[in-house]
Amino acid sequence: MPVDYLPILVMLIVVSAFAAIALTISALVGPRRPTPAKLSPYESGMPPFGSARRRVPVKYYLTAVLFILFDIEIIFFYPWAVLFRQLGWFGLIEMALFVLVLLVGYVYVWRKGGFDWD
Amino acid sequence: MSTDLVLTYVGFFMMGAIALIGAVLAVSQRNILRAALGLIVSFIGVAGIYFVLEAEFVGVVQILIYVGAITILILFAIMLTRGLMQGTTSGHNSQWLAAALLAMLLFAALALVALGTNWNVAATRVSSDLIPKIGAELMTTYVLPFEAVSLLLLAALVGAIVIARE
Amino acid sequence: MSLSVPDLNLRIIAPVLIVAISALVVLLGELVTSSAQKRGLGYASLVGLLAAGGAAMGLWDAHAVAFREMVRADNFGVFLTLTILAGAVLCILLSFDFTRAHRIETGEYYALILFSVTGMLLMVTAADLIIIFLALELLSLPLYILAAFKREDERSLEAGLKYFLLGAFSSAFFLYGIALVYGATGTTNLARIAASAPSEMLLIGAGLLLVGFAFKVALVPFHWWTPDVYEGAPTTITAFMSVAVKAAAFGAFLRAFLVALPALAMDWRVVLAIIAVLTMTLGNVAALLQANIKRMLAYSSIAHAGYILIALVAMGGAGVSAALFYLLAYTLTNLGAFGAVIALGEGERERLNVSDYGGLARMQPLLAAMLTVFMLSLAGFPPFAGFVGKFLIFGAAVQNGWAWLAVVGVLNSLVSVYFYLRPVVAMYMSEPVEGWGAPRVAPLVALALVLALIGVIALGVFPAPAIALAAGGLGR
Repeated sequence: MPVDYLPILVMLIVVSAFAAIALTISALVGPRRPTPAKLSPYESGMPPFGSARRRVPVKYYLTAVLFILFDIEIIFFYPWAVLFRQLGWFGLIEMALFVLVLLVGYVYVWRKGGFDWD
Repeated sequence: MSTDLVLTYVGFFMMGAIALIGAVLAVSQRNILRAALGLIVSFIGVAGIYFVLEAEFVGVVQILIYVGAITILILFAIMLTRGLMQGTTSGHNSQWLAAALLAMLLFAALALVALGTNWNVAATRVSSDLIPKIGAELMTTYVLPFEAVSLLLLAALVGAIVIARE
Repeated sequence: MSLSVPDLNLRIIAPVLIVAISALVVLLGELVTSSAQKRGLGYASLVGLLAAGGAAMGLWDAHAVAFREMVRADNFGVFLTLTILAGAVLCILLSFDFTRAHRIETGEYYALILFSVTGMLLMVTAADLIIIFLALELLSLPLYILAAFKREDERSLEAGLKYFLLGAFSSAFFLYGIALVYGATGTTNLARIAASAPSEMLLIGAGLLLVGFAFKVALVPFHWWTPDVYEGAPTTITAFMSVAVKAAAFGAFLRAFLVALPALAMDWRVVLAIIAVLTMTLGNVAALLQANIKRMLAYSSIAHAGYILIALVAMGGAGVSAALFYLLAYTLTNLGAFGAVIALGEGERERLNVSDYGGLARMQPLLAAMLTVFMLSLAGFPPFAGFVGKFLIFGAAVQNGWAWLAVVGVLNSLVSVYFYLRPVVAMYMSEPVEGWGAPRVAPLVALALVLALIGVIALGVFPAPAIALAAGGLGR
């Protein structure tokens, strides 16, 4: 029912309004005294080094692809988990087959060093 | 009109606007990183439309897969590519006019037919608790597609290793 | 909520299952074999494919549906299953020495081929658009990777990327088509789509499905990727793609349009007839201009897709059986032609230009004769398989009132003779070119060539049994 989502809609509006107001007010009335330290990008408290625009190693890409694939697999567990009791043995065997195929993939990636960083 | 219907309309147009704004940003920004961020906005809008249409499961999937994972992959792909990281790329090429015309034509045709179609409206309202139903269908009627998906994912996994391993 | 277990008839999908399990075994085998033992994985793949072929033969005349009408075993599907398996077996026989010479001999190579075959077999057994879509993805995805398998070769990478981008794009069209068909009819099952009333929405959905299929079988104007992908991909993969993808995609194409959309036939027959004319003409004319033999065969494969489309336009039992026979004949002939190109390679070098074939008739008379037979069969000369295939297709067209289409097809076949004979002329009339040694043909490649040759001649001289099998029919 869309009514159930009414609080989320209200929340969305409040959050957007709050962000807009806070940014506008601080832009209008806040003092501006820039120093080099203030202007440097914030990197969790570390002093930034190097350019942010250098190319990242391709390893990240492999990690991201593996993440997506296992993410999609998790999605398929969700509707199964909701009613695995009703599905009984049949559902269990189905899911076992599904997982088995993925397990082959997992073993493959693992043995090929897909999870090693160096 | 019932409150429900009003809310459905309000939600639909709000989410539609978000999706559309994001899509326009994605195709108009010259900096490809910004274009990718526009795409995220569009994905979120589409997820919102799914929720408004009470397709919660699809909405959750949209957020988990598209907003979460696909976006990260797109950003990584940009960061991996030297040429794209430096400076801006031209957003359009010499065929943009033809492409725009063709897209508008397709849109017009689809819109006309969609408006003229007598849609099969379900006689009874689908209950709000859809996920058990989806699960039941997935695990019985669609058992074969379900297992085929695992093979597809495995093939993709092998492909990722073959292509991306150093 | 009450749940009932669907009709799990594993026998119907036994060929698919066997190939899928072989793929898993080969993939795991890759992890435990040394680089000298990779050949064994190829043999394991062959065993799996042959076992699947045996299982498929057991399904002849089974006529059954299973998994809540998701899959259907009919003689149409079994014929195409066997065609695809024959193509895969020949491709693997050609691959043993090729992969070693090109340093791509890995378990993944064979496993990905098997994954692709799994998708193809699923595609020709599918009775539901959802299965067709998943099968399409399962057959395509491994091919994108295989096209780019020679990672140090830029052309191979380009082929993989191009194929992937355009393939993903066409998949989106196909999926959109399924969504509209579902919107118009409320079902994705082919038989139930046929039972519902036709509408404009269904027509648009059918149009989008057509785009998806047209891309996969390379029909004009969705053929742009073909020459570049066929040229860049490793030659064994090109050979495999050119025949097996066509057999699988045409199988689902025929099934979807003839089973689910006969009510709209008035509309799509005209469109497909125009596409067929464009496809044949562009394919043959462009092939005339190619100096590179892989590109020439790519355009030739586009032209052949046009011929097969005539069979779909003709419809009826004659059209279906003509298409099936043609797909089998084309599979054997084209794999033979590519096989000869592979056999003539030296290490990583391949004879890609027509001029490289000069003087081969003297150095390798047997191989030259074989390549000549395959080229003549592609051009449609009797007494080879290609002739019977064309004869059946044009006959079906005339019989069902599309005589003008048959005339265009015959004219196109005449044009094609010129470029098919160019390598033949070079082999018999030209002097050998410098820089090439005498080719040595590996035994397994020779085996594949002989098998293809026997098939091409047998289908050409005694076509009756195969025609009878192809007439087995499409289950509805």
